[in-house]
Amino acid sequence: MTRARAAAGLAAILTALLLQGTVIGPWAGPVPVSLPAVLVAAVALVDGPGSGMAFGFVAGLLADLGSTHPAGVLALCWLGVGLACGLLADRHSVRRDAAAAAIVCALASLAGSVLLAVVHADGASVGSGLVHVVPAGIADALLALLLVPLARRFLHTDQLRAPRASTDELLLAGRRG
Amino acid sequence: MRRLTSRQRTAAIVLAVLALCFLTLDVGGGSLRASHNGVRGTLGALYRGTDAMLGPVRRFVEGLPTAGTNKGTIGRLEHENAQLRGKLAADRAARTDQRQLTALQAAATSEGYRVLPARVIALGSADGFDWTATLNVGTDRGVRAGQSVTDGYGLVGRVLHADRSSSVVLLAADPGSGVGARDLRNGEVGLATGHGASGFTFVPLNPKAALRAGDKLVTGPSSATSFVPGLSIGTLSSVHASTDGTTTATVRPTTSPSSLDLVGVIVLDNAATTDAAGGSR
Repeated sequence: MTRARAAAGLAAILTALLLQGTVIGPWAGPVPVSLPAVLVAAVALVDGPGSGMAFGFVAGLLADLGSTHPAGVLALCWLGVGLACGLLADRHSVRRDAAAAAIVCALASLAGSVLLAVVHADGASVGSGLVHVVPAGIADALLALLLVPLARRFLHTDQLRAPRASTDELLLAGRRG
Repeated sequence: MRRLTSRQRTAAIVLAVLALCFLTLDVGGGSLRASHNGVRGTLGALYRGTDAMLGPVRRFVEGLPTAGTNKGTIGRLEHENAQLRGKLAADRAARTDQRQLTALQAAATSEGYRVLPARVIALGSADGFDWTATLNVGTDRGVRAGQSVTDGYGLVGRVLHADRSSSVVLLAADPGSGVGARDLRNGEVGLATGHGASGFTFVPLNPKAALRAGDKLVTGPSSATSFVPGLSIGTLSSVHASTDGTTTATVRPTTSPSSLDLVGVIVLDNAATTDAAGGSR
């Protein structure tokens, strides 16, 4: 991982968390729409499951530590988002990727509600998670339609492009002669 | 659909186990409290900064769907507010009325009079007098000229004349009005002359009467006054002895003539009224 990717990742997580707390959260009300989760999904859809898992785990842990519920819940859920979206990536159709991101994020929010209900935190209940899963999925899809093209554009720039083993080898081979 | 490499699979398992460890640690003993506090403090400061920047925009956008209806709501609330203020003022006035009626009732009960409650509907000069009040009761309720008027605490004046539904009261505070008065402490009788809002001047019949500041004055004996006897006029505030040997006193009135509202006309039987009216003015 390059320094530029790490810095961009941290900046993206922080921005998403701040926007979630100040804009998306108050607007969404009881519906668990999650901008950071959709961001994790978008990164995973572009960069694959490896980056998605790492990004999801770090973002989730940061969100957990900044909240009142026990740490590890969002880390586990968004780890799952990164993994699933990395595996489901279509990479050709933004709509299909956005749909995949929406479904995975909605399921992750449901899983989060279940986990929180199990550990009796934040007054969460499985019932409210089930009630809000469809509206959350629709809102996540709208966010994903916006974020997936953005993630594609940013992660395909020279500075932020993921270093791939095959590319490195080709470059090294080219230099050697 | 992609497949995970073995390294990615291992990483996924390790991260999941790590997340579960965090969860167990935090639920079990709260050993991550310091980390929670640190991150929450940092994010809290960032949240406040971001909200200061984006909050107004968010609130503006949130208010847009109800922008049209707010005007109506504000108007309705203002109307309700005005109504409630009106009710509040009416309640306050009703409480004052109730207090005054209680005082009137108490005065009537203690002195054995019948007191007819009346509202002052006008204050000003009439019939050549400066200080008169018009009441909303008249002859059809038994009001006759010469009857005394009280506010329950002290003397207000006497009825000058009455028509069917209203009557004019000459206030005791009028400079042209003289009230036969008695000093309650030493029983000295004299004349209290009105001086408008500033009270009365009391001149005792006995020039050597020993008057003292603080003495209470009441309306005098019925043969010497047109007022019902025993109504409080005021309290002597200062006593002056002039060079010719006469003594006068300044009287602070019991009833303020400029703030009259609810009063009571003391309705006597015909003989008593005639008797009272036949006295000095």
